[in-house]
Amino acid sequence: MGALVFFFFYGSILFFIVAVALRIVRTVKAPVHLHWELYKGSSVYEATDWWTKTHSSFVEKLCSMALDLLTLREFYHRNRRFWYPLIVFHIGLYLLILWHAWLFVRAVVMNVETASAFGWVWGTFSTFLTFVGGVVILWMRVTDKELRIYYPPIHYIKWVFVLLTLLGGVYAVDVHFGSKMPALLKYVREQVTFADFEHKLHPAFGPALHIAFASAWLVYLPFSHVFQVFFRYYHYLRWDDVPNARGSEIEQRIKEQLERPVTWSAPHIPSGKRWKEVASEAHQPPGSRTR
Amino acid sequence: MQTQRKKTRLQDVSRRTEEPLVTVTAEDLMRLPPPLDRVEEKAPYSPLSEEQKKRVECALDGVSALSLPKPKNKEEEDKLVEQFLGGLRKLLSQNDNWSFWQPLIQSLESCVRCQTCSDACPVYVSSGNQDIYRPTHKSEILRRIINTYVKKRRKLLSKLTGDDIELNWPVVARLAELAYRCSLCRRCAQRCPLGSDNGLIGRELRKLFSQEMGIAPKELHDSGTMQQLKVGASTGVTPAAFGSMVEFMEDEIEEKWGRRIKIPVDKEGADLLLIHNSGEFMSWIENPVAFAMIFEAAGLSWTLSSEIYGYEATNYGTWYDDVQFARIAIQQAQVAKKLKVKKMVMAECGHAHKGLIVVADRILVGDLNYPRESFLPLLEDLVCNGKLKLDPQKNNFPVTLHDPCNVVRLMGIVQPQRRILNRISPQFREMEPHGLENYCCGGGSGFAIMNSNNFREWRENISSRMKLKQILETFQDVMDPDVKKYVCAPCSNCKGAIRDILSSNDLWEKHGIYYGGLVELVANALVDLKEPFIEWEWH
Repeated sequence: MGALVFFFFYGSILFFIVAVALRIVRTVKAPVHLHWELYKGSSVYEATDWWTKTHSSFVEKLCSMALDLLTLREFYHRNRRFWYPLIVFHIGLYLLILWHAWLFVRAVVMNVETASAFGWVWGTFSTFLTFVGGVVILWMRVTDKELRIYYPPIHYIKWVFVLLTLLGGVYAVDVHFGSKMPALLKYVREQVTFADFEHKLHPAFGPALHIAFASAWLVYLPFSHVFQVFFRYYHYLRWDDVPNARGSEIEQRIKEQLERPVTWSAPHIPSGKRWKEVASEAHQPPGSRTR
Repeated sequence: MQTQRKKTRLQDVSRRTEEPLVTVTAEDLMRLPPPLDRVEEKAPYSPLSEEQKKRVECALDGVSALSLPKPKNKEEEDKLVEQFLGGLRKLLSQNDNWSFWQPLIQSLESCVRCQTCSDACPVYVSSGNQDIYRPTHKSEILRRIINTYVKKRRKLLSKLTGDDIELNWPVVARLAELAYRCSLCRRCAQRCPLGSDNGLIGRELRKLFSQEMGIAPKELHDSGTMQQLKVGASTGVTPAAFGSMVEFMEDEIEEKWGRRIKIPVDKEGADLLLIHNSGEFMSWIENPVAFAMIFEAAGLSWTLSSEIYGYEATNYGTWYDDVQFARIAIQQAQVAKKLKVKKMVMAECGHAHKGLIVVADRILVGDLNYPRESFLPLLEDLVCNGKLKLDPQKNNFPVTLHDPCNVVRLMGIVQPQRRILNRISPQFREMEPHGLENYCCGGGSGFAIMNSNNFREWRENISSRMKLKQILETFQDVMDPDVKKYVCAPCSNCKGAIRDILSSNDLWEKHGIYYGGLVELVANALVDLKEPFIEWEWH
């Protein structure tokens, strides 16, 4: 059983890395799509000879992304009622992720015996926020007609799983480690430095349960909405104002795409020809509708 | 009147029934302000005749935009369903659908079903919150079909993910119609906190039907893009007819301005090639006339084109078919190349702005990637930098601005039109909401020209209802018919849709609410005009 948890945990980390890498490759290699973005405000098209003007910088876009993700400002502006539990949940989650990162660093670089209760307060507060936010979100998803509609059963299970994961964490920290930071940090150090294989192969119930939950999340995360949000920014799916300049990389990629065959089957589209050829045809054969 | 409104489940879409899933009644409709605040007794659209019902599919909401014939037998049904599934697979393939694969996948995968978008949709709200018109409705059906029939999720998983929609002909037929109940205004996409674009999903559905199954409204395809590719304009205007119209424009200018000018046509090497929606020549000739007067008054180096494809800015492919879109965009760019002009300027046509300036950016390469821009920054420069002699007092009547979605939300041109109006119209007032938050006129994505069966009634009473409400609210304090009011709509399709709602509600005759473009107001303010440019004659 212990070995299973061990392999599941490290396997899930490996799976996470590979799955995320594959998704990144898929996104980066995706064809350049036609311009279809939306605008948050005035754009470069308000200027004459707009193609000679500068476009918003990468830093601006990065700041916009950071604000979106940290404050969930789109929900704040568009759906305030739902934003309240969402922001509580997400602030808790971000703090919890930071806490885990701190645990790993603190456990390795400093004497674990001198750890104060600060770490415990941080972790407990973050868990509390995440849990409260999660409970309210689940409650709203169950009771609110608008939030219930089209919401598939599997997502309710997901939220229950979120709450169970948090409770698992509370059990591990407060029951197994007795809310004692030195004990917790010592355990983390063993995990990070591979110091004690005995603990890995025969883990106690509390840590094993929490690790099993964490592993399940690592397997799920690459397919979650969270990653989709990142990719939205990567490919400027909204507010993309980078024009296709002559001789640019974008133009080169478009030229390659225009060499692809057109595979659609409607009568007005001759099959077997390349996009470049089909798009250059002006006069169409008459009566091209099938239905 | 007994309302038939009922809650519809996603699974209902596959129900085999002659009756529509929903019939919107007068009682369902969103209420309007005075003078249209009475509860209507007339249904928003007439039922199709028995003969029509036998012939065409209308099992979604009793409306037929497509005149989609009913299959003759089970074999034909199965074949069509198979065709649909084949098209769906292509839609999800990078290779087959390179043009929109990435935003489509993003939109399909990122929705968290928070329904934040629903209230943003004018059709959903105007219809009394009918579930079938939710922006997420068609997307969720499609998503579940994809999970079951393309990704082939196992049954147990399907139960958990809710993927329990049976794919049959009624689903395909209803989805085809549903793709034409969304005007692609993308207000829902603007609202989506996750960036899911249900407007795009609707557009991609349209594409699947057109590019794979040959199904599209005849107004967009047969008499739209096909006619444009054949004769040069979707209105059927030929180069010869265009020549006569230019002469007529010169006569009009002489009458209004007291001086005859020669409108430049096919002038090689001009600074700019102005391209109008050819609907302007047919229905609102005063619009190209105003452009000509303004450009001449400002002493610009400009030209129109009489070349086939050179006098028509529309590209209906923007709304339903990538192949047709690319064909038209390339032909339009060829004209500019041939004339050796410095740039192309789109006149008052919203989708031509978005289509040729923005979307075609990833189609036009090499020397066809011609500089293209909107007329708005140019007009702003002329009006706001003193390049025209204007008297704003000539426009001293209430004016409001309708924001075409394609120009504002979909392109980010928000302020120039406001700065122009603030300069030339002392009584300019905004409608609410406006700018990026504007509502569609109801005629977007081809709706303005689609009049088959009972679709026009659906458009006027449901799709355009929010715009009608906005216009009435904006002019509530000046409803006296003696006070002439002007709805400025700088887009041909919007203008058509607004004309129809003003006309069908007698708002010109009874309340003096008129409509027109932006350049007409600028021309009306020219100081050396003999007669007022705006004639206040309904047409």
